[in-house]
Parts: sequence; C-alpha cells; structure tokens
Amino acid sequence: MFHPRSAPRSAPRSATALAALAVVAAAALPARAEIPQALIDAAKAEGTLTTVALPHDWCNYGGIIQGFKDKFGLTVNELNPDAGSADELEAIRANKDNKGPQAPDVIDVGYSFGPSAQKDGLLQPYKVSTWDTIPDDIKDPDGHWYGDYYGVMAFMVNDDLVPEPPADWSDLLKPEFAGSVALSGDPKASNQAISAVHAAGLATGAEPGKAAADAGLKFFADLQKAGNFVPVTGKAGTLAQGATPIVIYWDYNALTGRDTLNGNPPVTVVVPKSGVVAGVYVQGISAYAPHPNAAKLWMEYLYSDEGQLKWLEGYCHPIRFNDLAERGAIPQALLDKLPPPEAYKAAVFPTLEEQEAMSSEIKANWDGVVGVTVPN
Amino acid sequence: MRLQRVWAWLALAVGMVYFLLPLIATFEFSLRMRRGVYSFDAYRVVLADPNFQATFGYSVAMALLTILMGIVLVVPTAYWVRLKLPRWRPVVEFVTLLPLVIPAIVIVFGYIRLYNTSSILPLTGTAMGTNLLLLLGYTTLALPYMYRAVDTGLRAIDVATLTEAAQSLGAGWLRIMTRIILPNVLVAVLSGAFLTFAIVIGEFTMAALLNRPAFGPYMQLLGANRAYEPAALAVIAFAITWACMGLIQLVTRFQKHTHLPR
Amino acid sequence: MAATGGLSDRSARSWAWVGLVPFLAFALLFLILPTMQIVLGAFRDSEGAFTLENVRNLFTPAILGSFWISIRISFASAFLGCVIGFAVAWAVTLGDLPRWLRGPVMTFSGVASNFAGVPLAFAFLATLGRLGLVTVLLRQWFGINLFALGFNLLSFWGLTLTYLFFQIPLMILIITPALDGLRREWREAAEILGASSLQYWRMVALPILWPTLLGTLALLFANAFGAVATAYALTGSSLTIVPILLFAQIRGDVLGDPHLGYALAFGMIVVTGIGNALYIWLRTRAERWIK
Repeated sequence: MFHPRSAPRSAPRSATALAALAVVAAAALPARAEIPQALIDAAKAEGTLTTVALPHDWCNYGGIIQGFKDKFGLTVNELNPDAGSADELEAIRANKDNKGPQAPDVIDVGYSFGPSAQKDGLLQPYKVSTWDTIPDDIKDPDGHWYGDYYGVMAFMVNDDLVPEPPADWSDLLKPEFAGSVALSGDPKASNQAISAVHAAGLATGAEPGKAAADAGLKFFADLQKAGNFVPVTGKAGTLAQGATPIVIYWDYNALTGRDTLNGNPPVTVVVPKSGVVAGVYVQGISAYAPHPNAAKLWMEYLYSDEGQLKWLEGYCHPIRFNDLAERGAIPQALLDKLPPPEAYKAAVFPTLEEQEAMSSEIKANWDGVVGVTVPN
Repeated sequence: MRLQRVWAWLALAVGMVYFLLPLIATFEFSLRMRRGVYSFDAYRVVLADPNFQATFGYSVAMALLTILMGIVLVVPTAYWVRLKLPRWRPVVEFVTLLPLVIPAIVIVFGYIRLYNTSSILPLTGTAMGTNLLLLLGYTTLALPYMYRAVDTGLRAIDVATLTEAAQSLGAGWLRIMTRIILPNVLVAVLSGAFLTFAIVIGEFTMAALLNRPAFGPYMQLLGANRAYEPAALAVIAFAITWACMGLIQLVTRFQKHTHLPR
Repeated sequence: MAATGGLSDRSARSWAWVGLVPFLAFALLFLILPTMQIVLGAFRDSEGAFTLENVRNLFTPAILGSFWISIRISFASAFLGCVIGFAVAWAVTLGDLPRWLRGPVMTFSGVASNFAGVPLAFAFLATLGRLGLVTVLLRQWFGINLFALGFNLLSFWGLTLTYLFFQIPLMILIITPALDGLRREWREAAEILGASSLQYWRMVALPILWPTLLGTLALLFANAFGAVATAYALTGSSLTIVPILLFAQIRGDVLGDPHLGYALAFGMIVVTGIGNALYIWLRTRAERWIK
C-alpha cells in the first residue's frame, strides 16, 4: 500500500531499475533528467496539444496549462472541462479516426479507468524521464498509465453558518448540523462522491472495499434520517449561498474553493480524524493522439519538478511528493499552505480491487438506501 | 370587458412574480462578492475577461445562422407536410421530438465518428468544416421548437386556399413560400427564432467537444469552483440574450405588416 | 406509413414525397445515423454480440420506478406549464392589456425557455432553499416557516416547480401564434348568437385550439423528460429520474455499463414515441370535425 511520507524509497540503483531505464528509448539518463531536446523539437513541430476535462480550478490546471504554453510555446486546445472520466475515454474512442482538434491527446482519469482504458487499447505507453520516482503500485509497469496526484476526503465548512466545524465523520450526525451536509456529486457517477461514502464507512472501522461501502451507505442513511443530509450537489456557490453549509470534497477542491471565496464567506477545511481516504487520478496518452510528441512533452512537463510543484500549488499532492520532499525541493511557503502532514499519515489508498468493489456496491445500492425511489 | 382585464393582469402578475423572484435572488447573490456590502465586483471580473466578447460574438453569429437554416429547413417541410402529405405528419413530428430525449453528448460523439478526418465527409478537419458541423448540430437541437412553432403558425392560416389562390395567379413554389407563406407565419417563426437563439447561446456540450470558441464552454470554464461569478454571468447572459432578442423583434417590425391589428 | 394517398391524380401524388427529402436527409445524416449507436448499443453486450439482456435489465423495480418518476414529473410540469403558459399568453394577446407588453413578454419567454441547468437550480436554491430569499423574507415579515409547513424544494413538486421555469415560456411562445389565429369575427359571431364568454371558449375557441394544445403538451412532456442538467444540479442524488440514471452509466468518474445506458436511452425514445402516438390519436379524434 502506498503511504505518503513514511516508507523509505528503494534506491533506484538496483539492477532491475537500471535495466528498465536502459529500455526506455532516448532516455539513457539519470532519474531526475532534463527533457530530451529532440522531444521538445518534435513537439514544437506539431505545435498543438489537445487536452480534455481539465477545469482551471482543479489542481491548478489553469496555472499548469499556462506554464506549459509559456515554457514551450505550444498552443493548447482545451476540450470540455466538464467531462467525466467516462467522457474522456469516449472522446478517445469517438475520435479514433479523427486527426482534427477534437481528438484528445492526453487524459486525466480516475484510478479504475487507467486499466480499463488500457484493456480497450486506448492508451499508448510512455515512460517519463522521472519514471522511477513514481511509486510502483500506482503505475502500469509497461507505462500505459501512471498516477499523477492525490488528495484526501475533507469537509469544506462555511464558517458564517457553522460556528463549530465538525472534526470527524461521527460529528456530522450531531443535531447542530441539521440540513447542512452535502456531497459534491452523484454517488452513482462521481468518483468524488463515491469516495466520500467509502470514507464515511472506513471511519466506522470497516475494511476498505465492500465492507466500508456498506458501512458508508448506512452512515448516509442515518445522516438522512437525522435530517442532516442535503441531497443537493454541493459546490462553492451553494456553500456560500447557504444551501449546503458543509460540503464533502477532495481537500484540494476545498482548499482552492476557500481561496477563491477569499473570506467571503470564511471557510475552514477539515481533514477528518478518522476515515481518511485518498483518491488517486492517473494520466495517459491516447493511442490515437494526433500530436504524440506534444503529448509526451506534456507528460515530461507534468512529472518534472516544476510541474509537480504546480500541482501542489493547486493543493493536490503530486505523485512524486515524497521524492521532492526528500530532496528538499518543496518551498517552505508552499508547504505551509497545506493542511498539516499528520492528517495524511492515516490516509488509506484503496487498491484497484477495493476501489472497484466499493464503487459497484455504492452505485448499486445508493438509491435503495438513501434515495427517493418509491414514487409517492 | 372589465373583469377580463382584471384576470389578465392577475395572470400576468402571477407569472411575473414566479419568474422574477429567482432572477432577483440570483442577482442579489451576485452582488455579495465583497463581504458585507453590495458591489458589482463579480460583474467587473466577468466583463473584464477578453474572451467574453469573442465567445459571445461567435455564439450570436452561430445563433443567427442556425435560425436561418432552421427556417429554410422547417418552413417548407411543415408546409409541404400540411399540404400534401398529412399521413407523414406523425412520422415527422416524432422525428422532431427525438433531439429532446437523445442526449446532446451522444449526438456530438456520433458526429465525430461519422464526419471525422478519415470519413467521406471530413468536416472535423477544418475550422470551417467544424463550424458547419456545429451549425448542423444546433439546427438539430432547435428542430423540436422550430417545427412546433411553425406548425402552430401554419395551422392558423388556411394553407390550401392560399396556395390554390397563389397558383391560380401563376405563382411558382418559391414565390409562394417567400411571399405568401413565410410572411403569414412570421409571428410563429419569430417564436421559433427566439427559442433557437436562446438554445444556441447557452449550448455547451457540442461546442466543447467540437472545440469551437462558443459562449457555453466559456461560461463553464469560468469556474465551477467559484460562487459569485457564475451568478453574475448568469444574470449578464440573461440580460444580453434578452436584448439581442429584442433587437431581432425590432428588425421584424420593419417587415411588411403580417397580422391584423387587434 | 406510406405517402401514397392515391385518391386523386396518381402521378402527382406519387412525387409529393420528394418535397420531404431535404428534411429526411437532414434528419438521417445529422440525427438518426449519429445516434444509431444508441439503438445498436442497446442490443449489444460488451463483446459486440446481439443480446436482449440490456433491455431485459430495464425491467427492474429500480429502473421502472425511475421511469415512472420521470413520466410523472414530465407530465406534471408539462400540464401545469400548459395551463399557466396559456393563461399568460392569453393575458398578453387577448386580455386587453397594453400592447407594448407583448414584445417584452415574448422575448423574456425566449430567454427563460433555455434558462436551465446549474444556473436555474442555483436560482431556485437562492429563492426557496433553506436560506433562500423568499424563505427568509417569509420568516422575517410574515412569521411563516416554509420548511415547517412541509415544503421542500428537493422533492417531486420542488423539481416540478423548477421545471416550470422553462416550460411556461415554451408554452407561451408556441401558443401565442395560435391565439393570434383566433379570428375576431368568430368571437363576434358567437356573441351575436348570444354566447357567453365561457360558452365561446368551450364551444368555439378551445376546440379550435385543441390540436395545438395537445401538440404543445407533447412537446413540453418530451422537453421535461429529457431534461437532466437541472435535476442533477438540484437533487443530485435523491430523485432518480431516467436521464440521471442514463448519465451515470455513460458518463461519470466510475465505471458504468454503457450498454445499460444505451438501453435506458432507447427506453426514453420508446416512451417519447408512445407519448407521441397518444397525442396523435387524441388529435385525430379532435380534428375529425374541424376540417
């Protein structure tokens, strides 16, 4: 299991690592390498990169895209920032024969979608020059998909309406939070919402996977019975307006929202004491990418120190966080803006199997346990 | 007649209250960007964005073109069906209802599959081609409303008699359409035009996936994570779209007079 | 449905369908073919083989329940939209109000007809939600606590109320030309024969308007049936209407079953077809004596 800031990284001087390095074409370079000039030239010749599903407020993608444009002078086509992971895969499928600007080059999808896309032949392998500093259990060994960032489930609380923020999941059931707690999406479709239910279940002590999913469903049923659950899709807007004073969000979304609201209203972001679930997203290059070199350059940029730190600016923990921390590459000012690292010590990273087990359990049973299914 | 007017005012008043309250609530919220005091800060942020004008202009142009294409496609069809092919009416009506229940995202993925750079009709390869594809997509989305509006208008006039009269005076089909039918259904066409205009301005999915610089994707990109700007944007978009429609209506006023004054 | 009526001149009749070709070609190329994926996908499984499994899976209590909720909400919002929209349209055209009111009402209806999705959901939350403008004002000025009275925006009737925001303007826009078509002479003739206002409406105006009213009801029904963005934003996880179910399978951040999604979409098309058939049947009966 991948634990942040705890397990020592195995030194990349082992034989297998060296062999892997040697295999990576045009990258007979040390781990923290420069980006090969040949790649930069090839990408510039292509001139454009097409991305999909990258909202500017999510993990500071706005800053990252601008940084990429400034550094390499390429233009970036941004398709549908509202796309879900399934839409991204569908975009690749639909654009198989299309080399126009509607075809995405790179995708950023939920964890389970990496292997699924690989199985459908939608991804092409590529190993960035910093490949070895990406933890093994969060990447495909052949390089089809690789983890990019993670965050933990947190509570975003409107201080104007909630004077005493909840400290843990069990607090949410208290009567003072009547009509206050909302999810950020539909637990039948949104990874974020499903992870929230899973986290609630983990907080009760259940094992990750199906057991925690069931416990989480029961928790939300209790929450609704207590009258504390608001079935509205919670966002910064509804939080500020008052319809959803507490929103269960990825910490990076909650923190970015707090900054954007700029004290109006003041927001507290709480990482719960128990039931801390981490969610990982993965990157991949489309097998049918019209601009494969630009795509590879994009990956190199994202996994360079500069790119990783830009994600951190968006409050997303980049996948190479441990490596960067060990080398002291993270500015202290940036570290200070993050929630205290103790909160992340207990973070649980569900494996792929646990993820799928809990997803299908929650998707299948959410309506029955919580929703208004019986027509009346 | 007095009582009738009272009822009329009452109906209008109830309608106005229902429609204005949510808009007022949105507006009130959008003014709250600066803590504790009402201000237009959210509006300033939105209007300062250079992309606002560019994308809005693009969408307005697309909207007008969609209206034209809709008129050219729907008016002759509705007329012909009413006149000559009444048995086809159920089929045509069913087809026009389909865009309401088929998700736009499925339609646009279908377009990309069918009209991509490796197909017979490589529309997605060029900017102009993609614009055309988007235009056709918008026309499809507006089809239900345009058809129903025009059909309503045609129902109110005696199509058969007008046609016979025109034919007996020697008019050809084109002249019948443009000089006789179209002016008589202009009010209905205008309704359809308004509906089309609103749809195109706000449309998001097709423009986003076809990678065109329209207003819908711009509105979305402004941020799901913001609170006050989207509210301000909604109010601005509402006001500007309303103004544009007012302009359209003004333009048609200068057409030949179409219906008897009441 | 053949077009060969065959009553009078055969050769003229048999060419009449040519006039429909542009429309049919357009519909085929830009509506039907691109969405064939739905019909095909509904009858395929993940390996691509033909199967009825997806359609069979539609007949579970959960999915049937969500179809039923969708149908009820769509019908409720369509019916109320028709009634209220008719009242407003009547007020502005025949209700003897100042004539300059009509233009702004029409254009406003145009904008409002497409004011849906997240902005609409938010507007209603800001009005009738827990801390909504009206909720707060009612409490402060009149001491009425909406929620204590059992009102909840996030319910069947709350969603219907929200849907009316785009249903009523649609009705207004479509019915106004029809109201314009009611000739003044008919009203005068009816009055000369001694009919009261009610009788005029019951025996002259409404029968004439009936096919249009039905047609617009069908349009409003389909409009609400397919509306998803507003419902998603407002009731995200509680009111399971069919489009939300559909989107959970073909979109989203968790692996879904796209073929079930396509079956759901196919089911929606079937329901719309049935609704349309119902409307056609009712209209044919009504039109029998009009012509």
